[in-house]
Amino acid sequence: MRILLVEDNERVTQFVVNGLREAGHTADHAANGRDGMFLGASEPYDVIIMDRMLPGDIDGLAIVEVLRKAGKRTPILILSALSEVDDRIRGLRSGGDDYLTKPFAFGELLARLDALHRRAQGINNESPLSVGDLHMNPLTRKVMRGERTIILQPREFKLLEYLMRHAGQVVTRTMLLENVWDYHFDPQTNVVDVHISKLRQKIDTEAERPLLRTVRNAGYMVSAGD
Amino acid sequence: MTEWARPIAGMMRSSAVTLALGYIGLGIAALVLFAAPLWYAWQVTIQEGRAEILQADAQRLSDVFRRDGPQGLKSFIDTRVSMQIAGERILLLTDSALQPLAGNLAAWPQTVPVTAGNYRIDVELGDHMRHPALVHVARLGTYNLLVGRDNKLFAPLQARFWYGLAAAIAVLSIAGLLIGLITRRALMARIDSIRRTVTAIIHGDLKHRLPTHLSDDELNTLSRTINGMLDQIEQLVHGVRNVSNSIAHDLRTPLAELRSRLEELALIRPPAAQTFAEIDGAVADVDRVIRIFDALLRLAEIDAGMRRSGFVPFDLADLAANAVEFYAPAAELKNIELTFSADAPVPVSGDPVLLAQALSNLIDNALKFAPERGAIAVTVQRRGDGTAEVAVADNGPGIAAAEKAKVVERFYRGDSSRGTPGVGLGLSLVQAVAKLHGKAVELLDREPGLRVVLTIPPDAAASAPR
Repeated sequence: MRILLVEDNERVTQFVVNGLREAGHTADHAANGRDGMFLGASEPYDVIIMDRMLPGDIDGLAIVEVLRKAGKRTPILILSALSEVDDRIRGLRSGGDDYLTKPFAFGELLARLDALHRRAQGINNESPLSVGDLHMNPLTRKVMRGERTIILQPREFKLLEYLMRHAGQVVTRTMLLENVWDYHFDPQTNVVDVHISKLRQKIDTEAERPLLRTVRNAGYMVSAGD
Repeated sequence: MTEWARPIAGMMRSSAVTLALGYIGLGIAALVLFAAPLWYAWQVTIQEGRAEILQADAQRLSDVFRRDGPQGLKSFIDTRVSMQIAGERILLLTDSALQPLAGNLAAWPQTVPVTAGNYRIDVELGDHMRHPALVHVARLGTYNLLVGRDNKLFAPLQARFWYGLAAAIAVLSIAGLLIGLITRRALMARIDSIRRTVTAIIHGDLKHRLPTHLSDDELNTLSRTINGMLDQIEQLVHGVRNVSNSIAHDLRTPLAELRSRLEELALIRPPAAQTFAEIDGAVADVDRVIRIFDALLRLAEIDAGMRRSGFVPFDLADLAANAVEFYAPAAELKNIELTFSADAPVPVSGDPVLLAQALSNLIDNALKFAPERGAIAVTVQRRGDGTAEVAVADNGPGIAAAEKAKVVERFYRGDSSRGTPGVGLGLSLVQAVAKLHGKAVELLDREPGLRVVLTIPPDAAASAPR
């Protein structure tokens, strides 16, 4: 992926740019709103990471609005130290596609960038999903592992659907909370883990190769390969 | 402004003095309004009286004229004039050509027509001064008679009237001003004491209170209200201080751990695998600190009342059902029976994000405290008065009566929660969310267990405090 980071804090910039390059992405960096706006409007990036608070007179949300008005459809992830619910809503309303609060774990950022990129490539909500020998038909809501039919509760279906749409990518607990349950807070205990293990019991029986894996310190991933 | 004018200008700005000046002005106006018609009536009466006297004089003189002829009248007038003090009476007898024959006027006044009647004129008397006078003209055959009186004789009486009025105004002004100044002094003394107290409070001593008396006058009522406000502020500041202390204390622990972990790493320089494990641990420590901050920020956000703008209509039963479903696998894992019951949809107006978080905290708490094979019941219902209610009941140890007030405080952790994860902010958040929606959370005993009830009045937005 080719990623633009608009961020004025050097420490954060170094941390994110190094991490992105390590993960095999190309990362450009703009330290102020003017450069960010220019690069974002002229270069074909896959994803833009936009800090909300920028030095100078242009703030992150304003750049997002300008880019959207100019017809740029590049997915934008807004980065902010403001965690209040209203700020989040304002960020998304200005045209951002996702919102992440500082401080954040790099894994969380990477997973969200992947998800944004995947979403932007255009997904057909109705086409069947397959990972290895696990098949899901979103229309008939039928799930099969090989020849075995798997019966899922509605929420389990939604959970598996989200994981399968992001097959091969790490999906964090927060992403699952937000997208599967629409919960924008941190439930103290790891309830998500329990849901995952319940789902795993249903799709990965002992005889089969495990598809749903836990990625340490990051989240979960559904993938066929290793 | 000159030096002496400054205190006077300051006094003029005083509301008491302004008020006194206003009353003085009003008093003077009333006096003048009272005196003016009196003066007019008095003048008219005097005028008429004098005209009658002059007429009687003229009558007497014409009687003399009829009886003794012109020569008789002339000598009569001469006698009268010689007997009088000059100017008291004005007398003049002329022939048909207006040549003076007798009297104390040198010539017939030009302004007086030779026609019978009363006239007001200025005449020049023996002292060569002009005196306002009232004259009466009578025709005696071909002779003309003028009888008049110098108005100067009435001047002392008039002067007394004016002096009286001026004295009344002076007394009124001085008394009013004095009362104004005294009132100002008394008022300033009380305001000064209020000002001193407030200054002390501004300088940080919140224990001061305004002096109050038993009376119910305006300043006293105001002072009592301000004292009430100060009580509230002191309580809040005290609360904030407590919370700050707790925050400092609660953040110290993970920060201390983090510090020692990093210091140890730097000192010992263990092999790579162990270093990475330690780094993971350090990140977890930081996450703990961040979680505490997030929880506090969320609480502050709710306390500030900012979230009320996020009130939308939604179904409370649906929200609770989702929360129960979310926790069902976790309950199953602990062998706890988690049940949900709602009769029908319960539409309410509120903040679904916060209510979901509050409910999630309650179920989470119940899961923490319910015994193995315990039971948790989540119920949603609408009461008779329209209040929506969501309750989470467990059969755990419950909360002792003495602890009930404390558990909703920030960072408070009951004895039974030692050793369980959490930072002691869960119920504080529930309380804050409940208050945002209008009412404090209820903690009821079930013996055994606890039933936590969160209520939403029919129109939460309208009945909420603040």
